[in-house]
Amino acid sequence: MSDVVVGISDLKVSSGEQDCLVTYALGSCIAVAVYDPVVKVGGLLHYMLPDSTLDAEKARQHPGMFADTGIPLLFKSCYKLGAEKKRMIVKIAGGARIMDDMNYFRIGQKNLTALRKIFWKNNVLIDAEDTGENFNRTVRLEVASGKFLVKGLGGTIKEL
Amino acid sequence: MLEKILRSIQRVPAFPMTIQKVTELLRDEDYSVQEVTQVIRYDQAITANILRTCNSAYFGVRSRIGTLNDAVMYLGKDNIIRAVQTSGVSRFYKKAAEGYVPRASDLWTHSVSVGLMSQILYKKIYQQEQPVLYTAALLHDVGKVILGEYVHKSFDEIMDLVGREGCSFLEAEEKLFGINHAIIGEKIAEQWNFPEEISSAIGSHHRPDLLADHAAVFPWLVYLADQISSMMGVGGGQDGLAYRAVSEVAERFDLRDKDIEVCMVQLFEDMEKARELMAIV
Ligand SMILES: [Fe+2]
Ligand SMILES: [Fe+2]
Repeated sequence: MSDVVVGISDLKVSSGEQDCLVTYALGSCIAVAVYDPVVKVGGLLHYMLPDSTLDAEKARQHPGMFADTGIPLLFKSCYKLGAEKKRMIVKIAGGARIMDDMNYFRIGQKNLTALRKIFWKNNVLIDAEDTGENFNRTVRLEVASGKFLVKGLGGTIKEL
Repeated sequence: MLEKILRSIQRVPAFPMTIQKVTELLRDEDYSVQEVTQVIRYDQAITANILRTCNSAYFGVRSRIGTLNDAVMYLGKDNIIRAVQTSGVSRFYKKAAEGYVPRASDLWTHSVSVGLMSQILYKKIYQQEQPVLYTAALLHDVGKVILGEYVHKSFDEIMDLVGREGCSFLEAEEKLFGINHAIIGEKIAEQWNFPEEISSAIGSHHRPDLLADHAAVFPWLVYLADQISSMMGVGGGQDGLAYRAVSEVAERFDLRDKDIEVCMVQLFEDMEKARELMAIV
């Protein structure tokens, strides 16, 4: 298998049997993995912030930076490879926060809220998620199988 | 174990004289380019690194810089200090901090990102850059280079304390080793005879609220720069976000969520431009 690395504010889609889409060290950022098992098309987005109105220019250059520009682009890019919305399996990970954080730095939480709103408006259901808490996550999406692996606290790996 | 750790601190090599001398020279408003290049030239590693880093888009130089003389002339005072410091500090991050990150380059990437973020924050708050703060930010986790092998060996115990008992990573270090990576870094800085504002910022970078000198600004800004960059996951390690939030920092500098978000976008941009800085370890 060959790793295709998805950086911060980036997204990649693939129908390559050999490909594994990987993104490292998600803190408060969120990874959205989508997969159509019939045509075996997968996509992975690693967005950093909830709302592109913060910086429209940056959103144009890096649509993957924000939830509201990255998520639609992720789906559209998969459709181009033959994926269909009704078959898409959607899994998410990330949105962590600092320990006992109450009053500031709610970026992980805001990232999650933005995503839920977008999905709710578009009738998209989340099939599985590993979010919140206070550790970094690394995720992998195997394009051949649609397997979505999350490496979390202490390096333990689980399949979502 | 604590004694062994303290002994390894004493074995940390001296901080390059070049950097101290250059910083000293540049403190004078009309420094001589010749004098500065002469001092730098003695250190080959730093010279090579400066030439690499100053061609980084981060410094915004258009034509390619080939000689040290050009570098000092074109970069200007603030940038040459930045390039010299980055080049000199990187040598202390060559050794992997195993227990924390998989590769040495991860800790270096994290350190550079905290350095850059410290300047983004300082500029936002005080409308200028702050080279001393940059040094402190760049070195804030240098203690991890020493503690890494111990963390690696006791990793399961640490994760147990962090995962099950709700300790912060720092508290887990203290429990197991009698010292934490921030204090080790502070001791290293003291050994190098660094000014107190640097060593205390390193020593308190996870708990600026516990510092007796409550007026000190640097510890808070290194803390904040570290936390924001960790949230973004830049060079993030196993310790990740397992540190206590000191939410007082937001009011202290009157920062809202939006401000933090703007700083994150700025750091993303700076990191894109600063790849050469990352490559020198
Ligand atoms: Fe630290
Ligand atoms: Fe750090």
